[in-house]
Amino acid sequence: MAADVSAPTLGARFKRPSVIGLLGLLFVAALVFWLIVNLIKTPSDFGDVFLIGITNGSVYALIALGYTLVYGILELINFAHGDVFMLAGMFTITFSTHFFGLHQGQGWVTVPIVFATLLLAMLACGSINAAIEFVAYRPLRGAPRLAPLITAIGVSFIIQDIGLAWKGPNYVTAPDVFPHSNVFSAGGVDYSWNKLIVVLVTIPVLLALLWLVQETRQGKAMRATAQDKDAAAIMGINVNRTISFTFLIAGALAGAAGTLYSLWATTVRFDQGFQLGLIAFTAAVLGGIGNLPGAVLGAVLIGLIQAFNEGLNWHAPGSDWTQSIVFSILILILVFRPEGLLGEKTPEGG
Amino acid sequence: MSANGRSPGAPILEVGDVHTYYGSIHALKGVSLTVNDGEIVTLLGANGAGKTTTLRSINGLNRPRQGSIRFDGRDITTVPAHEIVRRGIAQSPEGRRLFPRMTVTENLEMGAFQRHDRSEIREDMERVFELFPRLQERRSQKAGTMSGGEQQMCAIGRALMARPKLLLLDEPSLGLAPIFVERIFDIIRQINEQGTSILLVEQNALMALDAADRGYVLETGRIVLADDAASLKTNEEVRKTYLGET
Repeated sequence: MAADVSAPTLGARFKRPSVIGLLGLLFVAALVFWLIVNLIKTPSDFGDVFLIGITNGSVYALIALGYTLVYGILELINFAHGDVFMLAGMFTITFSTHFFGLHQGQGWVTVPIVFATLLLAMLACGSINAAIEFVAYRPLRGAPRLAPLITAIGVSFIIQDIGLAWKGPNYVTAPDVFPHSNVFSAGGVDYSWNKLIVVLVTIPVLLALLWLVQETRQGKAMRATAQDKDAAAIMGINVNRTISFTFLIAGALAGAAGTLYSLWATTVRFDQGFQLGLIAFTAAVLGGIGNLPGAVLGAVLIGLIQAFNEGLNWHAPGSDWTQSIVFSILILILVFRPEGLLGEKTPEGG
Repeated sequence: MSANGRSPGAPILEVGDVHTYYGSIHALKGVSLTVNDGEIVTLLGANGAGKTTTLRSINGLNRPRQGSIRFDGRDITTVPAHEIVRRGIAQSPEGRRLFPRMTVTENLEMGAFQRHDRSEIREDMERVFELFPRLQERRSQKAGTMSGGEQQMCAIGRALMARPKLLLLDEPSLGLAPIFVERIFDIIRQINEQGTSILLVEQNALMALDAADRGYVLETGRIVLADDAASLKTNEEVRKTYLGET
């Protein structure tokens, strides 16, 4: 799947056959070959890994959308975003276990508790993200673009330290409440409920976001502000409030991602937001930063690439190489197609 | 007697001794001007004289450091930009500043952003389409893909969607083919006849003075001449500098 999408990308870039273009095509062909061999040799593993990739990809999508929303409106890469996602995992543990007394084997009571935890985590992270914008980025609105970028890295460290002080340096365990029984099991391919739940919660959140941005008054204000702040202001749009709202939504998405991820993976650590944040950021760049469907596409692709790399049997590089592969993709995209898979070409190149 | 055959009313916009800075550049050094209800007033001047800055001071994007701006009897000097349009001032800005990835219809809807009267907004959009039939043909096209003339029409149409009492037009003829320029000025007159006062910044001084009731000449941040349009057209300085006569 990854290969199908990147093939025309590299091809279109080079009108005449060039050495790099040829190498790119060869690489993509090798990738397709590798996937097909794996599919033929162990079809059931391939199916399992594919479904894991989709599940991971949907969590990445929620995080990647936050990067893309904020970049779209401020042209700022909010490096603290991944750490807000991490905080959401910690909120999830605190809210669900300490407030609601959630634990394994509670039966149907689990559902409203998880739902309430999800909403609370979204609310908390949305507010925190909006507060970060107000304190750390708004005063730098007129400053050179490097200034808020460095500030974002600083905020990222501050949030990590807060997480460290709050829950300590080790992995903290989240209650394992999602059922592990299979939704279906066909031809050796298993899909368990705990994975499906992640996807089932993600899809309505994504649809709600698209509706919000496309159809509502606030969404129109967001799009107008992203395209031209001065013009938006003279239309009567409160630009600062719109930017705050965008951070609120981005934070709420990170909150949803953090809750789902922590209940699925059942562990949280203060530094996990940094790594997952960068992976999600790569997904946003892959899809075309600033482009909402692009972020989802990029996230699913990255999720699949990671899963194939870590889960396939025949000559897979393995999990030691996941980060290298993900960031190689980032570099290749930035060099050869900075506007991403779905992004539009802009004077700044993406 | 004004150009549109009605006598001008009371002042609707009063700019008094405004000083505005661009960073550390002292762009406006005490600009005063008045637009009366129902008038077309033009602001002439060379590039960099401060015409656009004057408009940005009025619409709240560049807040003056000194001086006052009154609109419709109320002080609006410190009112934020997004509130100004609610008071009744809309603008077609320099460079049009459409939302390039929105359709024509969406751009026009953005012009009515602060209004909530849905059925009247639809009527106003029909009126804009009557004024600019070209926009109706292009209604679902992305604004960024249209020609300069079409974009200019869309920018003026978008400003009209706010139902302004005062319309600020910044270089509506810039970069347009002569046939479009004629059409745009016809439409400016038409808009004015329907009761909207207009402050027009224009480098095509001849067309501007033909359409306007009165005019001001701006030089390096100061008003150096103020008169009715007919007198300005015969003024020797104006003829030399802005009408290209020797």
